[in-house]
Amino acid sequence: MKLSDIDVAVIGSGPAGMAAAIRAKEEGAEHVLILERQEQLGGLLHQCVHNGFGLFYFKQDLTGPEYGHRFAEKVKDLGMQVFLETMVTQISPERQITAVNNREGVLRLKPKSIVLAMGCRERSRGQLNVPGTRPAGIFTAGTAQRFVNVEGYIPGGKVVILGSGDIGMIMARRLTLEGAEVKAVVEILPYIGGLTRNEVQCLHDFHIPLLLEHTVTKIHGQQRLEAVSIAKVNKDKKPVNSTERMIECDTLLLSVGLIPENELSRMAGVALDPLTGGPVVDQWRETNVSGIFAGGNVVHVHDLVDEVSWEAEIAGASAARFTRKEEMEKEKKILKPGRNIRYVVPQTISAQRDVTLYARVKDMEENVILKVGDILSKSLRVVKPGEMLKIDLSLSQLRQLKDDAVELSIESAKRR
Amino acid sequence: MAQMETEVLIIGGGVLGAAVARELSKYKVDVILVEKEADFGWGSTKTNMCIVCQGGDALDFRPEYHRSKLVWDSIPLMEPLCQELDVPFKRVGELALIRNNEELGKFQKLKLRAEKIGIKTHEFIDQETLWRMEPHVTREAIGALYDPNIAIVDPVRLTIGLMENAVQNGVKVMRETEVLRISREMNQFEVETNRGSVKCRFIVNAAGISVDKIARLVNSDDFVLYPIRGYVGILDKNSGGLIKHEIHMRPDVPGQMNILTPSVHGNLFFGTTMQPALRGDFSTTERIAEIGLQNVRKIVPDLSEKEIIHSFAGFLMFRNWEVGWHECVVQASQKVPRFISICIGYPGVSAAPAAAREVTELLRRESLRLEVNERFIPIRNAPPVFNELPEEQQREMIAMDSRYGHVVCRCETVSEGEIVEAIRHGATTLDGIKFRTRAGMGRCQGGFCTPRVVKILARELGLSEEKITKKGRESRLLLYKSKELLEAQI
Repeated sequence: MKLSDIDVAVIGSGPAGMAAAIRAKEEGAEHVLILERQEQLGGLLHQCVHNGFGLFYFKQDLTGPEYGHRFAEKVKDLGMQVFLETMVTQISPERQITAVNNREGVLRLKPKSIVLAMGCRERSRGQLNVPGTRPAGIFTAGTAQRFVNVEGYIPGGKVVILGSGDIGMIMARRLTLEGAEVKAVVEILPYIGGLTRNEVQCLHDFHIPLLLEHTVTKIHGQQRLEAVSIAKVNKDKKPVNSTERMIECDTLLLSVGLIPENELSRMAGVALDPLTGGPVVDQWRETNVSGIFAGGNVVHVHDLVDEVSWEAEIAGASAARFTRKEEMEKEKKILKPGRNIRYVVPQTISAQRDVTLYARVKDMEENVILKVGDILSKSLRVVKPGEMLKIDLSLSQLRQLKDDAVELSIESAKRR
Repeated sequence: MAQMETEVLIIGGGVLGAAVARELSKYKVDVILVEKEADFGWGSTKTNMCIVCQGGDALDFRPEYHRSKLVWDSIPLMEPLCQELDVPFKRVGELALIRNNEELGKFQKLKLRAEKIGIKTHEFIDQETLWRMEPHVTREAIGALYDPNIAIVDPVRLTIGLMENAVQNGVKVMRETEVLRISREMNQFEVETNRGSVKCRFIVNAAGISVDKIARLVNSDDFVLYPIRGYVGILDKNSGGLIKHEIHMRPDVPGQMNILTPSVHGNLFFGTTMQPALRGDFSTTERIAEIGLQNVRKIVPDLSEKEIIHSFAGFLMFRNWEVGWHECVVQASQKVPRFISICIGYPGVSAAPAAAREVTELLRRESLRLEVNERFIPIRNAPPVFNELPEEQQREMIAMDSRYGHVVCRCETVSEGEIVEAIRHGATTLDGIKFRTRAGMGRCQGGFCTPRVVKILARELGLSEEKITKKGRESRLLLYKSKELLEAQI
């Protein structure tokens, strides 16, 4: 296979990248290339040794590596070209990719289309601005997960976790199983950041204290972490001084949010949605740069790996069709987040065929009605920021759309 | 415990100690430098805004201040020094924003004062010019005082450059070596450290925030220093394009400062809020961070807090009112012969080249024989920065050593080759790698590269990964091997 003749180049080989590449191939793209910075296919799936993967996609309860393996096998079977340990350093708006590895050196590629599948990264302490000293022993939950599950080391024995994102809760359980004492999971909001199933299976089942409406107010220790101060917060999320207390610990894990990784997208001139942190995409998952598509956590952070793969498949299929110069419907309707909606993906739709929307709410609310313009109205018992909304719209519903902009909103059922 | 002997012992491997070491290496004299941390420049030097100023700025600079003279004498020395040491130096220019006539008056006085002492680079620019030069700057500014001469450096890399060049020319260094006691004998000192004792005839005390503590060890209490803590925030490189010059504004609250500046690596730094604090308490507080952000938004209103990737606190050591707040310490002890103390407080980096010369002169006056070292090599070559090389050279590097093709830190594009090279140059810790190569300094703050860097450190140093520390001493990163905790519980 010649490098001058690539139809679809996929950046990243996690649950999004592999799904996109496979789908592109199935959709008829002849030469599909995967660029992966790690030593093996799978992205972060390797360090996710817990189960709960593939419940929807494969209708089976798999671990992360098992989930990844299924896709990796298919990548092999389909005979795709894979560059491992290859870091993409640049993408130009003309779709020129620059990458570096230790075999070919500096690579220049000019594929017919690109699928962005770089996933996301964790928010760090610096971004949170947690006050206090700077000792060793503070890690993001994902970094700790890699140390424990891949490298075979336990960061520490007495652990506090700030934030109740899914990785944080999973690491609370993982470290408990490794013999560490998880003293508390501290969450600033009145509800958890991740999935309810993780709250139950990772925290409650292991008697790990969950402190809602609390935050870490100070970090103590010069060399290694010695303790953290925590306090209850008021309605404005400000710590209440009188409630401050110290917890002795040697490790603090941060699980305070994920950020779509879009440095390469920026270089390529891809417009980003400040609400999602990911590219603005249409229903084909095409970005504003022609021939550049995106899917999975690089677009917006999903709750479930199954959804990541499904969304990336849309991008992969579209990329393949783009290389065939197949016309895609361009008539665009804009989706706008209304009351208690943080974001909607895709940001635009053609309204000429069935579509699935993903949306996230800003705040938890009970007994509500989800509305999509005038075409959909659905009662929901509860909506939570930690649980994504998935909304299927049929062509017959979409045909009723009159305006060019459609608003999604959450209305209180009581007000009716 | 080892017992060593030397002519001169330098205490402290910050920018000042390193500059003195390098200056002394121009002469045939035995020098040992001891540093208590695992690497050089980890005290006041690293907690720094990286600006090379020349004294026309908001903080008082006056001809009668010793400190001002050192800064002005250093101006012509800094750029050639950075060139010799192969470390970054960038002349970005400075804009002091003017919001009203009162501020204009103050800056006019400042300009006159600068001219009187021979600094004639300042000029006033009007609003239109200012906005053309800096489109994102506040619309409240009616103009600015522009000084094209102001530059930025990387103080830690400068310090490492100075140290490496000093070592090249014969200076010996001991890291993780803390001075515990000093006893005076007839014609020499015996300095006791955690790694044995050193007998020496001269001491240069460049211990940064501990400089007065060290002086007290020999009962030399000629000066008192007051620690003032400042706060600095670092913004993502995505915001790096917001401004091109170092920009500052007169603070609305006395005692604060308000500076926004590019860094040589493409980030922005903002500095603010100075307040007295417990010495060595490098912690930051939520309140300070808030004020910092509020202040810097007065300079560039559309700056997003989401772009802050890191923050830190640093200390400026101020002298008391009697001597003058803006005075420094570069002096031989009145009571103890052959004992020189040096502490600039602010701006230590800008004053370092001239201060090092002055210390050398003080040593000469204290009877140190200084014979020129004809073998002195002024040039030091910095390890390659893969990311900054042209593509052709990148290809050559990878062909020569494939580890340069393995990118370990994605945010700053740092390769395994550079990390191995940094270890060969003396890095032994995670922070050492960070300051020498920038791996872990990017937007994910080491989230991705930490496990990888730890692995490379362990491999290259021949240690197990549990022994790898963040910053030396007791700062181990990984406390247990897998299953070790469980086994202990059985």
